Amino acid sequence: MNEEALLARASEERERIFQRYERGRENLAGQIDPWEDPEFEEYHKTDRYGFIHDERLPQKTAPQKVNIEVEREKKWVKMLGSWDSTATKEKLHRRIYKGIPNSLRIKVWCKLLDVNRMKSENPGKYQEMLKLAKHWSTDVRQIDSDVNRQFREHQFYRERYSEKQCSLFNVLCAYSMYNSEVGYCQGMSGLAGVLLMYMDEEDAFWALAILLSDKKYVMHGLYVEGFPKLTRFLEHHDKILTKFMPKLKHHFDKFGLDAILYSLKWFFVCFVERVPFSLCLRVWDIYLLDGERVITAMAYTILKLHKKAIMKLNDMDLIVNYIQVKLHKDFGYEDDVVIYHLERSMDELKRAKLDYPGPPPPNELPKRSLGTFIEPDKKSKIGQRAENFSETEKQTRATVILRREKAALELQELRVSQSDTVSEHSGVAGSGARCDDSVSGLGSRRSLAETSVTSTADLSVFSSSRSHAPDNSLDTHSNVSDDATGSDGSGICALSIQRAPSTTHSTPRATPHPPSISPLSDDVVRIHVTYNPLAASPSHLHPVSPSKYKAYSEDHHKPMSLGFYTSNGANNLPSDNRIRIQVPSEELLTPVVDSGRIITQRYIESHSELYDLK
Amino acid sequence: MATNRSGAAQRPNGAPQTKVCQFKLVLLGESAVGKSSLVLRFVKGQFHEYQESTIGAAFLTQTVCLDDITVKFEIWDTAGQERYHSLAPMYYRGAQAAIVVYDITNQDTFGRAKNWVKELQRQASPSIVIALAGNKSDLAAKRMVEFEEAQAYADENGLLFMETSAKTAMNVNDIFLAIANKLPKSESGGGGGGGGAGAGARRLNDGDAPRASSCCK
Repeated sequence: MNEEALLARASEERERIFQRYERGRENLAGQIDPWEDPEFEEYHKTDRYGFIHDERLPQKTAPQKVNIEVEREKKWVKMLGSWDSTATKEKLHRRIYKGIPNSLRIKVWCKLLDVNRMKSENPGKYQEMLKLAKHWSTDVRQIDSDVNRQFREHQFYRERYSEKQCSLFNVLCAYSMYNSEVGYCQGMSGLAGVLLMYMDEEDAFWALAILLSDKKYVMHGLYVEGFPKLTRFLEHHDKILTKFMPKLKHHFDKFGLDAILYSLKWFFVCFVERVPFSLCLRVWDIYLLDGERVITAMAYTILKLHKKAIMKLNDMDLIVNYIQVKLHKDFGYEDDVVIYHLERSMDELKRAKLDYPGPPPPNELPKRSLGTFIEPDKKSKIGQRAENFSETEKQTRATVILRREKAALELQELRVSQSDTVSEHSGVAGSGARCDDSVSGLGSRRSLAETSVTSTADLSVFSSSRSHAPDNSLDTHSNVSDDATGSDGSGICALSIQRAPSTTHSTPRATPHPPSISPLSDDVVRIHVTYNPLAASPSHLHPVSPSKYKAYSEDHHKPMSLGFYTSNGANNLPSDNRIRIQVPSEELLTPVVDSGRIITQRYIESHSELYDLK
Repeated sequence: MATNRSGAAQRPNGAPQTKVCQFKLVLLGESAVGKSSLVLRFVKGQFHEYQESTIGAAFLTQTVCLDDITVKFEIWDTAGQERYHSLAPMYYRGAQAAIVVYDITNQDTFGRAKNWVKELQRQASPSIVIALAGNKSDLAAKRMVEFEEAQAYADENGLLFMETSAKTAMNVNDIFLAIANKLPKSESGGGGGGGGAGAGARRLNDGDAPRASSCCK
């Protein structure tokens, strides 16, 4: 086909797509492909946000919660009546962190974004953009295909060419004209999709426009060619991980897992489809109030809350699935608990001056004036792709590849330095202030000394890291080390003691569900200790000074194949007949195993880290 | 699957029954041709009419058993929109296999597939195994790309070729199996090696993720 024909074909296609949305579902009877309009017979439950589920919903919201929401609504109505007063300003922060009542979300979001101001300053602009899009937008095909699959499990979007599907299409097409640098980028349908659950078409358009260009959010830099803001925020995210959760960062690096894979949607669509929708809305409430700092802090919070579970996963597949799928289905913490931790994270990051990666550089801001029509060039009209990468794209590519290489290099250096200094138990990333244990108040953290029943002690044996000095190489299953807190090379045993069932998790704020971790085959040695009420007291556990723990010995029961250090494998060994058990100071989940099956996982905290069993 | 995966390689006593090979495989192709659906069908045996669009990339694994060998695919499913093209090299670097997908009802997507093949031939590892998948074969009534045309193109370029349907599952497992069969499994180093200019970096990557080493343990 020659150029003319291609142009004609492209514009024909655009008009055809537009027409279908203009006619809408009612006027398209019999003309919608069955495959575009999946049946939802099996669905029979819709949640309060409009999502349809294929299984019955859990119990209805507790009555006291409904009461709370009703009470809050009253307060919010009052507050909305005097939005600009100082009293409102004082209360706003606290109330938003408690959650905006769902029925008032639309009003509050519009206020927070100041949608009305934008709308009144630009009368007729939305219609103008929509009209232009019909004639010029080069993103129509992509938008059409994404509208066809955005939130199809939501009642608004479930039917092809439903009113809201049409609105979504219109908003995105109009925006692709309004901001010609961004046009349409996948991800934006998620943002607009959420906005349209609460707003009408034009409000949603302006809300989207504000999210992309207002200095509080500037999502423009995320979606524009080369994703400059994404790379900048990911770099910052890595910095936070390195400082506060070096072991987790190390864990990710070990599997070559780049943040760009697991966290892209966190940044692009503010956690849509990555955390449960109710929680997502709470984060949006706060995001609209406090801006981009919230995303950074929430990313940190998610990993902080789930660090222990993630550290147990020894496969990139499992980690990614956990972060992207499992947490979307079930976050494992109540929304209020997460928001409480989010707020704490924000303070924590602020104190460390890591709450904000800084103001956007010029390449993250719109260069062309918004809402001004620019005729697309022929290539994009035809839908032809660029033959080569632009300079920006080349730079992006180099940046992301460099990130991986840097992480790999650091990992390698780390391994080298560890095999040099085996004794440095906790110095993982070598960065000064480590606060790896910052999630206090989560999970049950009982000291070993309080443990009452010790009839069965399970030793989960974590072998040492792959980078061990050669003399430890009788370790035959070094892969297991991925699990260990002490993958720093000091072959560590974790001791877990089965407790009476009454000692379950109980903490005032946190209500974690039992972590549902797939029982990866941690190699476990089980030691039976004859139960003796007198001997069962923990008094037979003698803490030893940390200076000695590097040595690791047992003589009699030498489970060679399990990766224990043998007596000839290290220097300075006290060679008396004993087993030395080291309980990692990290708050990792420790599996309790029965007949090879993990029956539960517990947190164990030790006051002192080493015990000698004689 | 999960237990399988860690099982064979890690059991302290008793050597694994079969050799396990791991390969990195990347899916490329125009938006909405069915890349994610193919993966979903292959990995989970499911099909979603309204498969959400992939933003950035997705990662999944699946294991297939050949006669004497187990092949574990590490599958990188990429976003199709052109804006995300600049991230693609990160995913196909070091890949030993690629499936380039087009939609048989849309001629443009076939053209786009050819461009992907060209790019892989230029930029990816020279020994990469490339398969071409003409997806949505259940919509044959709306066919715009003839089977013979695609077959001829595939022959010319030494590609595996099948028409597939993620919806009916036709040829989905087959195309992955065909790739598994074609991948070299003997020499260490495998088909992967360095992606394009990144040979040096690849070495680091190997150290970084020991599991990623391409061949049998």
